[in-house]
Amino acid sequence: MPWPGSWKRALDREAVAGWLLAAPAVALLLAFVAAPFALALGLSVTDLRLGSPLPVHWAGLAQYAAILDDPGFRRALLNNAVFAAVVVPAQTLLALALALLLDRPLRGMAVLRTLFFLPVVFPMALVAVVWTLLYAPGPDGPVNAALASLTLGAWTPVDFLHDPDWALPALMVLSVWQGVGFQMVILLAALQGVPAHLHEAARLDGAGPVRRFLHVTLPQLRNPLIFVALVTTILAFRLFDQVQIMTRGGPLDATTTVMYEAVTAVFERQQVARGAAMTVVFFAVVLAITVLQRRLVRERREIE
Amino acid sequence: MGWTVPALAALLAACGGGAPGDGDTARLEAWFHAGRQAERRVMRQQVARFNAAHRGQIRIDLTLIPEGSYNAQVQAAALAGELPDLLELDGPYLYRYVWQGRLRPLEPFLPDGLVADLLPSIRAQGRYRGHLYSVGVFDSGLALYARRSRLEAVGVRIPRHPEGAWSWRELDRVLRLLARRDPDGAVLDLHLDYRGEWFPYAFGPVLWSAGAGFLERPGYGRAAGTLDGPRAVFAMRRIQRWLERGYVDPNLDDAAFPAGRVALSWGGHWSYPRYREAVGDDLAVLPLPDFGEGSRTAQGSWAWALTRRCREPQAAARFLRFLLRPPEVLRMARANGAVPGTLPALRRSELYGPGGPLRLLAEQLRGGRAVPRPKTPAYPVVSTVFRDAFADIRHGVDAARALHHAAREIDADIRANEGYRFAEGGASGAE
Repeated sequence: MPWPGSWKRALDREAVAGWLLAAPAVALLLAFVAAPFALALGLSVTDLRLGSPLPVHWAGLAQYAAILDDPGFRRALLNNAVFAAVVVPAQTLLALALALLLDRPLRGMAVLRTLFFLPVVFPMALVAVVWTLLYAPGPDGPVNAALASLTLGAWTPVDFLHDPDWALPALMVLSVWQGVGFQMVILLAALQGVPAHLHEAARLDGAGPVRRFLHVTLPQLRNPLIFVALVTTILAFRLFDQVQIMTRGGPLDATTTVMYEAVTAVFERQQVARGAAMTVVFFAVVLAITVLQRRLVRERREIE
Repeated sequence: MGWTVPALAALLAACGGGAPGDGDTARLEAWFHAGRQAERRVMRQQVARFNAAHRGQIRIDLTLIPEGSYNAQVQAAALAGELPDLLELDGPYLYRYVWQGRLRPLEPFLPDGLVADLLPSIRAQGRYRGHLYSVGVFDSGLALYARRSRLEAVGVRIPRHPEGAWSWRELDRVLRLLARRDPDGAVLDLHLDYRGEWFPYAFGPVLWSAGAGFLERPGYGRAAGTLDGPRAVFAMRRIQRWLERGYVDPNLDDAAFPAGRVALSWGGHWSYPRYREAVGDDLAVLPLPDFGEGSRTAQGSWAWALTRRCREPQAAARFLRFLLRPPEVLRMARANGAVPGTLPALRRSELYGPGGPLRLLAEQLRGGRAVPRPKTPAYPVVSTVFRDAFADIRHGVDAARALHHAAREIDADIRANEGYRFAEGGASGAE
């Protein structure tokens, strides 16, 4: 320890500078993430209703018991789970397929990539309105007409958005269509980062395209794929815009989601405490999924 | 409806209150819904005339608020403690304000004779927990508009009075006969193109006529057993069947009846001027069909209420008395086409008076055929839930399931609000 005093002072100065540099971000995080969440936690143990003349009481866990007992909210949790279970793998696989297709040095490839990315740029509200028209009931609805001609007329027209069995699948298809471009771009970037010499070496070893994909490309894409799946899962749980615009959670709760239930509770029914409890449950679910995914990922890393 | 025009009007109205008044002038703020242009014009003229006649005593500052989000805006203002002195409210939303303790009973400030002159339907809407909280200058109503010649062509009787309304069976037969002669088979317009409040307003009468309703009466404390009871399910299934059989025109262009695509239109009083212009003398005004317990119609419209923030209730009441004078009532009713709200004005109305083409609507309102929408603070929730249920039924979901689901949602809301009980003490309307 040649200069103990100044070393210590330098460390102090660095720590102070570090905190100073981080301060704006930390302040914003506290103000816009931590504080609202703390507020939600606090509100969820009361029975606060906006505009009610009745006094506010401590409610303990009554709001949580009430929402978990509410068939609408349970259906919302189930819908979110089904939506994520279908959309996450479907969207990730489709994004990978598109990325592989578009990862070729062809002329006009930039235009094609732009076209596939385009839906991501559209606001969801616009996409929802356009797809509402596409899903029009009766034989004249574009989707119905397309399915009828594909099946040589065997298709009986469906009122997609108003049929309890079809409404959620219809939202899934549109969500995949709208979101897949984003994942595609990430995977495309990752594909272009796969070192060419690995492919070359594999080819010299006599590996065909399938084996090269399985043993060279996929392992190289592991981290981007995990990232994509994680982001898609979180987005899937945040499902709201399509529901609000296209189905209002109906028919018979077939498309309701946790976000939709929370927003309805607060902004339509003024039940602030109930909505807060829903968002806390939502947070817990998303946190659990994230932790689970990260843990799975870490374990594999250790095996490697 | 345009947003900018009413917003601008509200701004101008808000800025126009700079007249120098001496200390004795009672200044009152009044909020009015920005309805049609003619309605807004009449309201402004009325305020100007009232202010001129009471110079130095009372001054009304009028603010127009866009109709589409009126209730949301007023609720927001209420939470912020910024309500005006006088407030217009849309019919069944009144009770929530009373529950919140925002309004003052009107009886001490209005002469009994004036209250007795109001249409019974307006009194019924304004009276809650033993007090009168709102008075309307006009009321509304529903009718089944028809092209007389088409009904005559299929040889069915044309009812003229609520007592003679078609039963649902008769209407079934009329629809079948009309559809046979119609190129696309769609002969009935239910105004499915409308949004929002139309559905509880227009199809509440179906429930009531079947002996059901939205909530259990008289307490309005529960939907289960009433909204999803066998009578309600039966009535909504009849409507669903008309839809399934293709009798109902989707009316995306709001022109099914004037353009001649349908022979029958389930519509409000506001449709009359347009229909009359398009159809002329061939237009017939029929009562809504009878689903078992007699024909019923909807009622209720914008009405004035006095807030607790008002420090000059006597002055505010003078403005209401002015608005309820027969000539003023008629001016407003002519501007918006609604049913004049007092009996003396009604007698002098060309449209709704004796011999007028819309006398049926007045007869319904006076003769107990009109049922107010549930008088409960839960009404905003009842309304939105019923709209969703109607949409589900319209699109083929089994009526029993849709109504059961709706009743459960409404009851959950009532439970979450402790039955909308009134807070103890003087703050609520129970005083």
